[in-house]
Amino acid sequence: MNMDDADMNTALMVDGNAVAGKLMDVFGRDMTMAVARCAACAREAAMGALMAFIRAPGIVLRCPTCEAAIARIVETPTALYIEARGATFLRLPRE
Amino acid sequence: MAQPVLEWQAGTVTAIRPETRQTKSFTLALPKWMAHRAGMHYDVRLTAPDGYQTERSYSIASAPERVGLIELTVERIADGEVSPYLHDVVVTGDQIEVRGPIGGYFVWEVRLGGPLLLIGGGSGVVPLMAMLRHRAAEHATIPARLLYSSRTQDDVIYRDELDAMAAGDKGFEALFTFTRQAPPGWTGYQRRIDGEMLHEVIKPFGEQARVYVCGPTLLVESVANALAQMGLPIERIRTERFGPTGV
Repeated sequence: MNMDDADMNTALMVDGNAVAGKLMDVFGRDMTMAVARCAACAREAAMGALMAFIRAPGIVLRCPTCEAAIARIVETPTALYIEARGATFLRLPRE
Repeated sequence: MAQPVLEWQAGTVTAIRPETRQTKSFTLALPKWMAHRAGMHYDVRLTAPDGYQTERSYSIASAPERVGLIELTVERIADGEVSPYLHDVVVTGDQIEVRGPIGGYFVWEVRLGGPLLLIGGGSGVVPLMAMLRHRAAEHATIPARLLYSSRTQDDVIYRDELDAMAAGDKGFEALFTFTRQAPPGWTGYQRRIDGEMLHEVIKPFGEQARVYVCGPTLLVESVANALAQMGLPIERIRTERFGPTGV
């Protein structure tokens, strides 16, 4: 199969569902129905629907509309880093 | 508001059923079983003797009505870390570390209603099967159609069960498409899912359809784009992308 880099990136992409367990580690609850507002384009998307790139030392979640990075999660042996400046807010529905 | 954080637990493998050359279904008895919603998954964790751990997510194939047990259907990825172990090493009676059920986005249950259009590629059919088994277990009459893309007839998971389900239920129809080789005499679809095919499949349901798409990322991308072009409201489309497996 011949693929250029862009196609390969798309093929390797999964979505927020795939990191639901990791997000649960971080937030202590299911986050796939939590809504993130993208700081770049102001569109909102359920975290389960964010584009997720997980074949790397960390996880990058991107906006499905404009592809801006919403959040990055990196684990080291001693700590867990979450950078989420690509989100204006996260809205967690009360369960 | 917060739900308790899910703990890892050791499930006992009570049955292993080969589905196709590349897929097997593993039934696990769980000491701390919780009812799932169809479409959710479990994380499976393997630990090497040196402490190295790796995890993968696998969709639940069974209906929540099967109390105490879960069935995970796993495709063997040749260069994978977890699936070759499950396929080649695990035997009945073994214990496997799992946690779940996980996810709340890609779920369907009878109370959400329909009509229900399920679109799957390859092992992407697994969470869709949980939805169909749940629908059947609840004797729901919500109209449902499955459009299922496979390379060849031999790659179709749950073929017998899907055929039996369709034969005994006027409200459910299974449509297959073959992307590499169709069986002899096949008169149905034999190409990748495209806009024309989706148009035909969704026609009886119209814009009321609730659509769930699961499979390799490129398939899901192209289906989601085609549905959006058809003007289907985006809130009625739920997607789950599996990554690079090609169909």
